[in-house]
Amino acid sequence: MNEDRKGSRNINAALTAASCALLGTAAPPPAKAEELPRWSLDSALLYYAEDNDRVQDVSATIAAIRDFGDERSLALTLSADTLTGASPSGAIASNRPQTFTTPSGNATYTTAAGEVPLDDTFLDTRYALTVNWSQPLGRAYKASAGVSFSTEYDYTHLGANLGLSRDFNKRNTTLSFGVAYSQDDIEPVGGVPIPLSEMLDVGLQGNKLGTDSKDVLDLLLGVTQVLNRTTVLRVNYSFSRSSGYLNDPYKILSVVDPLSGDTLVRTPVGDGPDGIYRYESRPDSRTKHSVFAEMKHAFGAPVLHASYRFMTDDWSIESHTLEARLRWPLGAASYIEPRVRFYTQTEADFYRSSLTVIEPLPEFASADFRLGRFDASTVGFKFGQQTATGNEWNVRLEYYQQTGEIPRAQNIGAQSTREQYPDLSAVILQFGYRFGF
Amino acid sequence: MACPCELLIERIDEPTARAVLNAVATCAWAVEERFSRYRSNNIVHRINTSDGSPITVDEETANLLDFAEQLTVLSDGAFDITSGVLRTVWTFDGGDRVPSQEQIQKVRELIGWHKVEWRRPVLRMRPHMQIDFGGIGKEYAVDCAVSLVERIAPGVSCLVNLGGDVAVRTPRRDGQPWRVGIESHNDVGSPTTTVALHAGALATSGDSRRFVMKDGIRHSHILDARTGWPVQGAPHSVTVLAQTCTQAGSLSTLAMLRGQGARSFLEAQRARFWIQ
Repeated sequence: MNEDRKGSRNINAALTAASCALLGTAAPPPAKAEELPRWSLDSALLYYAEDNDRVQDVSATIAAIRDFGDERSLALTLSADTLTGASPSGAIASNRPQTFTTPSGNATYTTAAGEVPLDDTFLDTRYALTVNWSQPLGRAYKASAGVSFSTEYDYTHLGANLGLSRDFNKRNTTLSFGVAYSQDDIEPVGGVPIPLSEMLDVGLQGNKLGTDSKDVLDLLLGVTQVLNRTTVLRVNYSFSRSSGYLNDPYKILSVVDPLSGDTLVRTPVGDGPDGIYRYESRPDSRTKHSVFAEMKHAFGAPVLHASYRFMTDDWSIESHTLEARLRWPLGAASYIEPRVRFYTQTEADFYRSSLTVIEPLPEFASADFRLGRFDASTVGFKFGQQTATGNEWNVRLEYYQQTGEIPRAQNIGAQSTREQYPDLSAVILQFGYRFGF
Repeated sequence: MACPCELLIERIDEPTARAVLNAVATCAWAVEERFSRYRSNNIVHRINTSDGSPITVDEETANLLDFAEQLTVLSDGAFDITSGVLRTVWTFDGGDRVPSQEQIQKVRELIGWHKVEWRRPVLRMRPHMQIDFGGIGKEYAVDCAVSLVERIAPGVSCLVNLGGDVAVRTPRRDGQPWRVGIESHNDVGSPTTTVALHAGALATSGDSRRFVMKDGIRHSHILDARTGWPVQGAPHSVTVLAQTCTQAGSLSTLAMLRGQGARSFLEAQRARFWIQ
């Protein structure tokens, strides 16, 4: 056996000599090649923390892509995140401490006078999975299909999507079309409250109706155009229509005195709220249109990504998002990427910081700050480095600042003397590692 | 070359790209013209129609003959450039025609490098014997092409692909590899493995498209010159990485000729290879 192996090795040496003699050259440099990994994985651990002990989120994501060659690939994303902390309930700050029934309906919590009420029973763990397959279809088309699933304590999402794109103009122009449909089931803690019903005492759940659901249809039409050797422009139009249960089942509105603006007091029979609060009511459909434009431009090695998004919907929310990041190589293996993002939105037409006791109940009302008028900006950077084996680790640090305001006309009596729309800031820290096998 | 040929060039100015393309195409055509046995105006034709008379060959042909002789020695006669006449009895078209032992025996009389008088630069073959550079020519053309590019456009990285035999001489400036898919033997057009090639050559021997099926036995087109029969137990395809395409092709051919021993042969070479 050893003899045979030795003999075989001599064959290779003899072939090297014979090949060089044939080609009339010295031996070229040694061959350098490696098998490409079939799987490439991108993993990330993200920590998001709002100030003043509001929401904290720790999330772990792993995205895996299996390349089958010829532009056929399978992409899987698995993520888990845990949310803890407190989020604003929608009730306004008042001149006295306020007691609320928890969403489960079996306890109460109290907010100090002058403070924006936060519901601190907020805790959830979410798991999400997406699977996507993409492949060419004939010579000119590329198709993709996928499904998504996520589950958390009070929410289940099931979705499917299809995409089709076609290259034109020597692959300088790509037209793409996408459609996605999802069906979400909502099973809030304590049940789905009847919109605009009053928050009840502990133990009373007569206004909670079990579960509800919504479905969302998304359509996308996009054009990607190579403008020149260093610039690519992408423009997308997207349409989204949600229908069904669109409320946040945990959000409430304070019912206030029309003159003083203070929350109306009630006396619970046993344990329960000491003010009058009503659950929010949103329309059961929402249609959004958005236009997104992104330009990528290479200034030599540095690459700028700049994008703008405009969104408008039939709830009268309009938003603008401007985002830019500049990837700046540092040496051959590292880069730094400063990034900024500005966001502004107008409030929904049914956004109300509070309800007055004398007016007839409106059909729709919500005091959710996310439907209010606010501006937000994010600044940060990402640093990444390639390892000797071709893997990459990176770290991203960002600071988020949000400032909102209640329309002046909605401030009643003493409300304007108290903070109604608290500023929010958050820190985002992410570690990522990209590798293949 | 009767096969798809491809040239990929790392981004350079258009005149240089045209010059490189021109050089590669000229090189491939020239090798085909000089050494294809299907031509009637070249040295191979003169040798094959020499009818027993001595032929004095040019330097390049002599180099190829020397190389072929080496392969014959290294394969103990399994590889032989005089074995091409077996094609008169074997037709590898996916059908079921297998020649009789008598037919093969008759042809075998015309096979055997040891029956050839080769004293560089003079070659003398018995009447009706033929030589065929088919097992070497394509890989040789790839190497000629990359060498030529290296001379006329130093520093330019390109990938030359002549019917699946590929070579890269100069690594890319952007540090990225050329991606080469190794085609699946049973699903033509879809790669099982993708190789990141910075420099070097990949050559494949295989029977994915050329074979005969008889009585449930798949006879590969890899014929053992000593017996006139297809090699038994050979893999469907063998792809080898080496410094030159000629070497990669030779290793893959010698491995195929080892039949079931292909893998252990290549392992003993410390060659980087992919077997299907």
